[in-house]
Amino acid sequence: MSTITTRYTLTQSQKMMIFVLSMSLYGLSNMFTELVPGIKLGPIELSIEYFAFIPLTLCMLFHPLYAAIGAAVGEVIFGELMLGQFGGLGELEKFITFSLAMYTAGRMVSDPKNRRQVGVAAITGVAIHQFFSSVVDIVKVWVGVEELEAVKGLAESIIVIEGVGFLNDVLFSGILFALIPTMYLVPRLYGKIEPLLGMKPRERNMKYATGAWLSPKLVIFGTIMVMVALGSELLSESGWNFGDFEFAWAESNEESLIWLSMLVAAIVAATAIISLIRRSARKRQEAGQVDA
Amino acid sequence: MEAVKRALDRISVEQIKLELLGTAYNSSSTFLGRLDPRTLLLWYLFFAIVPWFVHNRTVLLGMFVLMVLTTVLSRVSPYIIFILCLGLISQIGWMFILSLFFGGGIESLLPMLTLTLKLSVISLASITVFSSLDPERLSDGLLSLGIPDTFAFSLSYGYRILPTLLEEFHQILLSFRLRGQRPLQHGLLYWRTATYYLRIVILAFYPLMLNTAKRSRTTIEALETRGFSYGLNNKKVKKIKLSYLKMKRSNWYFLSGSTVYVILLFWIGYLYPKLVY
Repeated sequence: MSTITTRYTLTQSQKMMIFVLSMSLYGLSNMFTELVPGIKLGPIELSIEYFAFIPLTLCMLFHPLYAAIGAAVGEVIFGELMLGQFGGLGELEKFITFSLAMYTAGRMVSDPKNRRQVGVAAITGVAIHQFFSSVVDIVKVWVGVEELEAVKGLAESIIVIEGVGFLNDVLFSGILFALIPTMYLVPRLYGKIEPLLGMKPRERNMKYATGAWLSPKLVIFGTIMVMVALGSELLSESGWNFGDFEFAWAESNEESLIWLSMLVAAIVAATAIISLIRRSARKRQEAGQVDA
Repeated sequence: MEAVKRALDRISVEQIKLELLGTAYNSSSTFLGRLDPRTLLLWYLFFAIVPWFVHNRTVLLGMFVLMVLTTVLSRVSPYIIFILCLGLISQIGWMFILSLFFGGGIESLLPMLTLTLKLSVISLASITVFSSLDPERLSDGLLSLGIPDTFAFSLSYGYRILPTLLEEFHQILLSFRLRGQRPLQHGLLYWRTATYYLRIVILAFYPLMLNTAKRSRTTIEALETRGFSYGLNNKKVKKIKLSYLKMKRSNWYFLSGSTVYVILLFWIGYLYPKLVY
């Protein structure tokens, strides 16, 4: 006799509830973080980047996909549209990177009562998001400024600014506004908030059903790959700039490294977009019946 | 120190609430607010994407002039403009200072200026469009352009629920302040006070999460009772819902005027690519 594997299934309206909950909460918090100015110490900005603990908590307690997409929608609507700060294409990028990172963090947690697991997932989620958004920012300036190489020092300064921003967001905002509150909230809310939505708590040590090939491992691995690519480019750039010794092939090598890292970033981004589109298409098809 | 104190005084929940409600709900009285949402969205789509790929400064400057004009026409709150300027200046400013450090010179200011111009065209376009569309019309406009229904729904839901949520958040915050004690001294750079407030804001989300969970369940159940998901997937229902959207003559004037302006701009930009600098 085969045992029926219990899966985490939700009805259509329960999915919608998670979506609405995550959207309104994270959207509200986003308004505050957008409007409260930060303290700037040089390029290091001690600002509240975002209240990442809200989507993280919801992704860990409920189905990560709907909570993540809900939070991203909330950010676009409350944080950008209502404040009149909608950035066009930039929002699409934010939407994708943010929901990808939050989804990954949610998937990483199998036991919401386990504080260590929750903490690791929270900081990983923030790191993934911040890393992708810095990469995109760098590429944006690359595209927006004509003949980047003609401006001395611009390329380096963008990379320094983004690098410092990345470290600041992960170490400062990440710990204060993602790690600590999430570790406090998740075990406390577990079992209390689910009945209010009319559903059972996520079972502890439950694994998500197969079919979602966008696994946390894949995302984390992809992020590390992009990091390596960017790092090698950064090294080559700075070595070339200080110019103590210049190999004959240094120029062309540097060029190819830029393209290599760009290529890796493009592949990762394309994979993410395609997978999200596919998932949403499949979701729509089997809406209300089965849950992946 | 005085400046910090004044800044802290200005940022109260009450102040932010008023500002937000003003931004979200003062529309449809302006010229742009009376246009069809689809017109505005199409117009926006052009000005959000094209500037990235234009490197001609004359064209960019012309677009900027148009954007300033439409922003003035749509009567945007000064606070929003202030935040926008602050963001632009700080981002570009730091890039400039660091590039000086890496051996750049004053000549690196020019490409930065171009970048600033691009960014401000894009942001002003979005400020214009989204502050002159009210939520209902925006969501219907998106729906008729084929955006997923869930997104269109959450948009109008967000606008509706915002005052309630803000009110509730404020109440919880006040009750936390009543029961706790503010730090007796402000500390260096007001860090004690800032930490105290941040801590409350984070803690306030615990009750808020539970309350919102209850509310979202009520909302969805009420919607489902009225056949919400069925209606969304039904073409006929959608058609009836969107039947009030009509392209009036003013929309065509607006669109064609903008097109003529942009074509002229590209022509002038082609003739005099370095009109300004």
